[in-house]
Amino acid sequence: MLLSKAKIGQTFNVKSVEGKEKIQKFLFSLGCFEGEEITLISKLAGNYVVNIKDSRYAIDEGMAKSIVLEA
Amino acid sequence: MRIALAGNPNSGKTTLYNAITGKNENVGNWSGVTVAKKEADIKKKYNPKGMDVRIVDLPGTYSISPFTGEEKITRDFILGEKPDVIINIVDGANISRSLFFTTQLLELGVPVVIALNKSDIVSKRGDQVDVDALSKALNCRIITTTATSEDGLLKLMNEAIEVGTDKKPQIQPDFQGKDSKDSDTARQKFVDDIIKKCQVKNRDASKVTLSDKLDMIVAHKWLGLPIFFAVMWAVFSFSIEGLGGYLSGYSNDILFGEIVPNAANSFLEGMGVSPLLQALIVDGAIGGVGAVIGFLPLVMVLFFCLSLLEDSGYMARVAVVMDRFFKKIGLSGKSIIPMIVGSGCAIPGVMATRTIDDINERRMTTILTPFVPCGAKLPIIALFVAVFFPENVWVGPSIYMIAIGMIILGGLLLQRMFDWENTSSFIMELPEYKIPSIKYAFSQMIDKAKAFIYKATTIILVCNTFVWFAQAYSWGLNPVEDQSLSILASLGSLIAPLLIPLGFVGWQLAAASITGFIAKENVVATFAVLLAVASEEALHLPGGVLAEFFTPVTAFAYLAFNLFTPPCFAAIGAMNSELGSKKWLFRALGFQFGVGYTLAMLITQIGSLVVYGKPAVGFVPAIIITALIAVYLVVTIKKSGSKGAKVGVEA
Repeated sequence: MLLSKAKIGQTFNVKSVEGKEKIQKFLFSLGCFEGEEITLISKLAGNYVVNIKDSRYAIDEGMAKSIVLEA
Repeated sequence: MRIALAGNPNSGKTTLYNAITGKNENVGNWSGVTVAKKEADIKKKYNPKGMDVRIVDLPGTYSISPFTGEEKITRDFILGEKPDVIINIVDGANISRSLFFTTQLLELGVPVVIALNKSDIVSKRGDQVDVDALSKALNCRIITTTATSEDGLLKLMNEAIEVGTDKKPQIQPDFQGKDSKDSDTARQKFVDDIIKKCQVKNRDASKVTLSDKLDMIVAHKWLGLPIFFAVMWAVFSFSIEGLGGYLSGYSNDILFGEIVPNAANSFLEGMGVSPLLQALIVDGAIGGVGAVIGFLPLVMVLFFCLSLLEDSGYMARVAVVMDRFFKKIGLSGKSIIPMIVGSGCAIPGVMATRTIDDINERRMTTILTPFVPCGAKLPIIALFVAVFFPENVWVGPSIYMIAIGMIILGGLLLQRMFDWENTSSFIMELPEYKIPSIKYAFSQMIDKAKAFIYKATTIILVCNTFVWFAQAYSWGLNPVEDQSLSILASLGSLIAPLLIPLGFVGWQLAAASITGFIAKENVVATFAVLLAVASEEALHLPGGVLAEFFTPVTAFAYLAFNLFTPPCFAAIGAMNSELGSKKWLFRALGFQFGVGYTLAMLITQIGSLVVYGKPAVGFVPAIIITALIAVYLVVTIKKSGSKGAKVGVEA
């Protein structure tokens, strides 16, 4: 399942990150990669607010579609 | 000895840097505030042994492999210039993410000292970190600090200087799979294992917090934009009409209207200075510079408010709110950062475009950022509002709304003209909200005030002296009775015909706009000098001498003309270095000039028809020019559309 389809408030494990290599690497350095937990906190103004490790990030829909979750 | 500060964005690097060097660099809790490295000597207080120590503040980065411009600056500095010590600032509130970068730093051979920062937040949350175990696992010294209250900084600097004197190379971390193809994953696993051993967390970060609930309101799909406008409106009307306007009114009327010139006159008369020199000093220097400095309180109030707003964490949310709208014009939420920085000064604003990855988005942001009225344009706004719209409190703040409108419109046009497609993606860390620091806002305000006074007493003073001279003398260097025979009048007359379609008649208006390219405050100063001869009255009184040149409609148009045509030369220089090619610089300047010119023309001509029921001066040429611009735009857009190629990418 893609992160863009996830339910608000639920925590998932990341299955894989698709898309451009640069973005994959960047998300990796934040701690978003295979096996790590990610929580969708809310959807705001077309962006997805997620919790990765101990921080909140807003990511756009394109990026949310590149994050594949285990479920 | 050189000590470099490195760490994740928003870990407190610049706050720590300011504390140990006594500098006053702009701090923001959103990534991309520091885009270039900054360097300064350490303060005595933190250098008891009096060693020769330089501190280098590097842009925040999440890893050593460059994903963004700021990461590249940091990487190039550490690898190329080999500092003696690296202080790695680790955000105590997010250790698990920070340590990924830390382990990369430890492998560079340069000794590392870790500042475990934000210890106040950590203890408030009830989390615990076993510093000794962490230090052992990473083979480097760790000092807990709170940069905001300067706790632990002396100890940190002592350790750093000691490590730098020892010159022992850093012991590298060793973990399984370090040399394998998947070394990054192995590194993350290594970090995770350390965290498990060294940190006890009492807080579940994935639970919805108060900060999240606030976000749901301020970054709401529909409420987000009106809230942003309301906040900006409040800040600008408080600065221009409220406290700032009140204080500026006083300093313009009393201080620079009466006290200073009277004192200067009687002082100079007492000294027996020649009347000519006295006129130069009082009318030229004090008159012009005073007209600008009179607006200092207004500028100070604005910067105080903007600092508070930045410090609270709200600006990162603005980027989220604007992302959706900016995406439609080929930009993204990231473009809002240079624009917010640009509300202080366009130069750092333009420089901040470096953090944008996509080259087309970066170019577009560079071209559009100077549309945001900067601190130097504020005196022009305040002057015109005071003279022509004393009753209409909405005019001042509305200028900023027009600026946002012009950015959107300009973006749409640029996108059509060059057929740009945006490929960049948007990600923004959302720091927790905090109560803004009054102390920080105050020191920022004082800093900006100093810079404002410095500029007024240097570059503006020089320009003013020239303007005074040029309006008092003819080309034969004889004093003239009639200003219209002066050097300045003949220079202004060369440009003046160009401004007739805009309804601006008179060489004075052309002259003021030209001096504005050297520094925007000059527009105000030049009027002050030119009109001092015509009238004893202060420049900024409602319905004052300026009213001889403008109707309220053309005054508004003149304001728009000065705000939306290209910025001052210094900002054009910054645009040149960020755009990286003369071709793009000329395109950018041409575009900005076209936008400013057309907007002013439309305001004058349409406004005059609507408000006064009759066309303004230059109506016929205005129609011709409008038609030409329209044809040019249609042709360019058609051409770029049919080519289908991405003009922006190849150039």
